[in-house]
Amino acid sequence: MSIPKIVGLEQEYAIKIKGGETLSFFDASCLLINAYARHLGLRDCGVDILWDYGHETPYQDIRGDLFGKNTGQQIVGEKENRLINTALPNGARLYTDHAHPEYSTPECLSALDALACDKAGEIILREGMRLMKNILPATSITLYKNNTDQQGHSYGCHENYLVAADAHETCLVSHPERALKALIPFLVTRQIFAGSGKVSHGKGAHWFPPYQISQRADFMETLFGLETMYARPLINTRREHHADSKRFRRLHLILGDANMCEFAGFLKLGTTQLVLQMLEDDFMDCDLTLKDPIKANQQISGDFGCGVELADGRKLTAVQIQRELVTYAQKFQPSDPSSRVPDDDVIRDCWSYVLDGLEQLKLSTDRVIEDDPLLLSKRLDWVLKLWIINRYREGRNCTWGDPLLAVLDLQYHNIDRKEGIFYRTQEKGFTEPFLTDDEITHFVHAAPDNTRAWFRGKCLEQFAEEIYLVNWEVVGFDQGDIHRMVPLLNPLKGTRDRYQEIFDQSRNARELITLIESVSAKQ
Amino acid sequence: MAEAQKFKQPVKKKTKKEDAEPTTPGGLSSEKKKELKVLDEFIEGVLQEAGEEFLDEFKQVEGQ
Repeated sequence: MSIPKIVGLEQEYAIKIKGGETLSFFDASCLLINAYARHLGLRDCGVDILWDYGHETPYQDIRGDLFGKNTGQQIVGEKENRLINTALPNGARLYTDHAHPEYSTPECLSALDALACDKAGEIILREGMRLMKNILPATSITLYKNNTDQQGHSYGCHENYLVAADAHETCLVSHPERALKALIPFLVTRQIFAGSGKVSHGKGAHWFPPYQISQRADFMETLFGLETMYARPLINTRREHHADSKRFRRLHLILGDANMCEFAGFLKLGTTQLVLQMLEDDFMDCDLTLKDPIKANQQISGDFGCGVELADGRKLTAVQIQRELVTYAQKFQPSDPSSRVPDDDVIRDCWSYVLDGLEQLKLSTDRVIEDDPLLLSKRLDWVLKLWIINRYREGRNCTWGDPLLAVLDLQYHNIDRKEGIFYRTQEKGFTEPFLTDDEITHFVHAAPDNTRAWFRGKCLEQFAEEIYLVNWEVVGFDQGDIHRMVPLLNPLKGTRDRYQEIFDQSRNARELITLIESVSAKQ
Repeated sequence: MAEAQKFKQPVKKKTKKEDAEPTTPGGLSSEKKKELKVLDEFIEGVLQEAGEEFLDEFKQVEGQ
């Protein structure tokens, strides 16, 4: 039976440092994160919160294999833990991952909330950069929300979806052919609206298409697997569910691009929610199994209109595959009406609209947009970026080999609203926001009301001095003689409607826990 | 939900005639043409300031 499709995003940002030659990316990232944490009072005397790695098992696989690596808790010393991590009152986590600042949104019930939380993350990082400037006036940091540095390195925009444990086990472990029939074809082809576009700055003898629609396609090498930094899989099989795994599992996707266009970001999340729910309810009886999904992923990225081979011998375009899936979505009602994906009607309309638009989008062999009657250049990153690049090419009469096109590609993703090409294009009205500024800024300080993120955020807002550790599924309080843990094993619980009154009545964490226990005992 | 509101209604297929702002600059209003010129100049400025060397300077550490 289908369950609500809670979703969260993890965005790694590329970093560029000017004027601080001795500053490493790691140092810069930590400075930024701590500047923001200090600004919120999370580095005040008496506040000493650790991120709890106790539930992280990066080398445990849902299929049971260990792939030759030790499992178990990642060991991070307390000093480093505090340096690289900040859990925020909006329910998010801001931290340094390797050498990138990373923002993980709180758990969201709707794609619109997740989109707004992701955009709120940009505001938080911009604020971090501003605060850092006060500490190191001669150094400036710029952040880029993209997925490749044009030199063969990639960094992710991971998605996490809550999936019913039985469906997860069936589709990914005992009968992976079910995922191959619909989920994998969906994921491989959704880049036609979710891709962020990339100038192929290929060097050497290897031929690259001059412009690809996906940033990540070239970096995906296997179907299923544990790795995230090499041999990247379309579906990451890490057994790390951050919830009661008897009921809930986390689908961890690492193939997606970071979106600047809100419409594209919304559609990426919303359509994936719907497809996963249809998978849980075993609603799709189609067989769209791709003959070679990894190859198809790269083929579509190079030419969105190309046909890709299916295992049964058919050859379909990405639009045709998506058409088949949206047809199912239009007829779908979840087995449990209360688990309905929020705004599912909007998602379906946008999905159909974008497929109509892609069918009518005409590109020349030199990737010039010849016709775009549904104005996808205002809504999809890869089309907008292509439009911008083509204007530049036309004005300068330059070929795809011009290195400045790759520079333009990178500068599109600069999150500075004054310096970034995407934001300047939006300001001039050549792309349209999907959300209002108020809807985004709300999530800079507030967590979503309707998931456990609200409880976590509220604890951090009201009782930061009493928190010992926190992670996605627990808030731990230091009460002197004893540590008290509040488990958040159900991502759908800990919501505002249930706990606002209890927080209002609690003067400290001891009272909070006492009240929770007393309410639970009465039930 | 600025644009999201539009999609709450059944989506009406747009035609070129209905869209005030075709993607070809030739069909843009004079106001939009001005904005486009400003955008072009902005992009030119960004690229001139960054230069080709930006590609080497941008090298990142592998991420997840």
